[in-house]
Amino acid sequence: MRKTDRLLKSIVVITLVLGGTRGLAAQAAAEPGGERQALLERISELERRLGDSRTAGAAEEPAAAEPAGAQAQGVTLQDLLERLEALEARLSTLETQTVMSEPETRVRRVVVWVDEDGVQHDEEVPGAREVVTYERERVYRRQTINEKIEEALAADADERVSVGIDAAFATQFTGKTSGDAGLPGGEAYGLASADLYFTARVAQYTLFFADIVGLSGSPPDAQIPSLSLINGYTARLGEQNQLNLREAWVRTELFSQSLALSAGRLDLTNYFDLNNVANDETSQFISDTLVNNPALGLSSNGAGVAAVFDPRVGINVKAGFQQSNPEAENLSQSIYSLVEVGYVGTPIPTGEGNYRVWFRTDNSSGTRATAVGVSLDQKLTPEATLFARFGSAEAEVDRDTFYSLGVGFANGLVWNRWDTWGVGYAHSDLDAGDREHVAEFYYSLGLSDRLRLSPHLQYFRVEPAGGGEFGYVVAGVRFQAGF
Amino acid sequence: MNHVTRATLSAGLIAALCAASPGSTTEAQGVKISDPTSVLLIVNRDSNDLTFMDLESHRMVGKVFLGNNVNPHMAMFTHDGRYVVTGGTRANKAYIVDVPTLTLVKEIPVDFAPEHMSISPDSRYYYQGNPDGDSISVIDMQSLTEIRRLPGFAEPLNVTFLPDGSKAYVANYGAHWVGVIDVTRHELLKKIHVGDVPAVHRLDPDRYLGEIHGVSSASISNDGRYLYAADGDLGIVAVIDTREDRVIKRIPVGPDPWRAFMSHDGKYSVTLNNGDETVSVIDTASDAVVATFEGGPDMVGANFAAGKAFVISSTSGFVYAYDLGSLRPAGRIKVGTNIQIETATTDVAETKLYLGNSTDQTIEIIDARTHAIETVGNVGLFPWGTHIMDSKDNYCH
Repeated sequence: MRKTDRLLKSIVVITLVLGGTRGLAAQAAAEPGGERQALLERISELERRLGDSRTAGAAEEPAAAEPAGAQAQGVTLQDLLERLEALEARLSTLETQTVMSEPETRVRRVVVWVDEDGVQHDEEVPGAREVVTYERERVYRRQTINEKIEEALAADADERVSVGIDAAFATQFTGKTSGDAGLPGGEAYGLASADLYFTARVAQYTLFFADIVGLSGSPPDAQIPSLSLINGYTARLGEQNQLNLREAWVRTELFSQSLALSAGRLDLTNYFDLNNVANDETSQFISDTLVNNPALGLSSNGAGVAAVFDPRVGINVKAGFQQSNPEAENLSQSIYSLVEVGYVGTPIPTGEGNYRVWFRTDNSSGTRATAVGVSLDQKLTPEATLFARFGSAEAEVDRDTFYSLGVGFANGLVWNRWDTWGVGYAHSDLDAGDREHVAEFYYSLGLSDRLRLSPHLQYFRVEPAGGGEFGYVVAGVRFQAGF
Repeated sequence: MNHVTRATLSAGLIAALCAASPGSTTEAQGVKISDPTSVLLIVNRDSNDLTFMDLESHRMVGKVFLGNNVNPHMAMFTHDGRYVVTGGTRANKAYIVDVPTLTLVKEIPVDFAPEHMSISPDSRYYYQGNPDGDSISVIDMQSLTEIRRLPGFAEPLNVTFLPDGSKAYVANYGAHWVGVIDVTRHELLKKIHVGDVPAVHRLDPDRYLGEIHGVSSASISNDGRYLYAADGDLGIVAVIDTREDRVIKRIPVGPDPWRAFMSHDGKYSVTLNNGDETVSVIDTASDAVVATFEGGPDMVGANFAAGKAFVISSTSGFVYAYDLGSLRPAGRIKVGTNIQIETATTDVAETKLYLGNSTDQTIEIIDARTHAIETVGNVGLFPWGTHIMDSKDNYCH
């Protein structure tokens, strides 16, 4: 039992008994004798218990109680009343000094009316204007010390910039299954990545976010000439062993928070072409074609704006543009513009599905090139989710086409409760005649809330237009820690 | 018998008679509420009172002050409508209010921090959970006394009686089991283990040695056959067969689910997964998740009306709606800005929700069909919960 709880319990007991004891004192005035002795003993007992309570709580002056066995002879009614009053005073002190009895105060937003003379009214009066102000109010709410500490910590956290870290290390081993002898085979690769996230609330419904990333290592993509990235982290690799600002934007929410606007240095793949089971190289597939649709064409992050309108009725609309060329000299160069319509519902009774259709234009080649794509994930069972993507992008002569599909598993068919795994296949067919087939299996083992270990097995088969096809099996392990 | 003792006994007898005979008080003070189904009961945590609002006129019709620093948590009518009971969390007492006269008739010392309670179907017993005391107080509603105090629980949050009143199930938020109480003898019969902690807990002991999120409630199916008990740390809903008192299925949902709420037709059980801010919809025929939707932060309750589930996101000020016919999101109702909303009850006709807005000290009446909001102000300080007699959405958080 906590000390404060013990104190409170004592207060309650004493209060109850005091009420009855005062009645007894009044009766004792009419009937001196044995009853007075009983009354005296009860007062002594109360004094002793109050003394014990005070010992458990705040320090106080020694109690002036007489031994419980004191005789009633010579004790007048006035003596008894004085001792009762002393008891009540001590009890009052105990109540007011105990931390848990401190009245709670807080500030609340109130609407008042101010008239022409500057007099404030609680109710609307003719000629007065409505004003929003803030006022302290006091309530009788007992709070424990724990609650007080938690409130203070929460208030402090609200004012601070929160920092998050996402660190990963991916080790991969390649085995060549076909291709020229000049191509590497049997090599080991490793790439370490660390993201630092900074988040701060800067105004009502307005958030600042920044992501600084540092990468180091040698991914297989530096040696193997696949059409897509074998290690999706490589897409982040700007400069080795240097910190790069990946994202820095401000987001605000308007119209009852149904419209979210983000502006700054963006990664539009965080807003478009999303997929619940194939969209994150840090926790799902590591092959880049199973993370994003290549037809999107975004090669790097840049300045841009994204707007997301989601009234939470199952349909959402997104629009945005972003510069995707770090060498661009002005804001009109290399602009990618995207619109997307999304739908969430249960078109088949096995579970919910998310369906997205997007359209993109790009002026980076000097002319306006377009692309269209689809991304969907549909629950087949509570454990299995089907995913698929399709994309078609305008190229020099004809179109580049791409599709991928697979299944992600969670909430069952797993070793531990929070594990996930998936299998996927992707196919790219470029206008230039190059083709690529990618397959991947991964199992993401949740070692703790903050640590995951994922073995991956990938297969790449590339058929260049000019011949010389080659294939690789890539086995790897990814450690990922997030805070 | 000496005079003092006789006088004391007489006074006690008179007091007891007054407490046990609200009818006599009624005659003296007049009836304030003649039909308990016609009012909304509001628990005001910080003004330490219970207030009553007429469901037709939306006017306040009565108030019962419980005492400073009582801080009531949850309140409910007995099934016969005679009393309202509430637990004074910071006073460590249960309070009994006579409904017709709105008179506080009894304060009963219980264990530490009484919060949620339940009344036996015959209105005979009032089971008061004492989370900080790890006990259940059994209060006899005839004698208005605590007749038993059942120890051995771990932060007992909610109690669920079987429809026949033979057993009561106690959800322990400080553990991963549901207690079965024999209501005839008021004894803990069994602890039903809802699920195992994942094997990887050895790698992250602090995750499980820190704050525990166990079972907050065992929600009962319409036929009384099954209980749906969500466990926060395990991320599951355990389905308990009440005939055999054993778990027959464990349904994985999202992380940190806060209790399972049963739709009124019994077709769905809805969990609020605060770990990833999603809402899982369980089909109770197949006991499988049939939809998982995006929710909001700090979800505390779900109500059902007009064929929809309404999920309350406490700190965002939003109520999220989901169409249970098409299993699609059905909009988001903005109750206010910079507010904290608490729990709601649904009227018996299932047309309106009565939601406590603790920041503005209002009750927000939400039309379940149109999502229009009517505000009733000055209901008391920090309205923490609401209750309508015979409503199927009477719960607390």
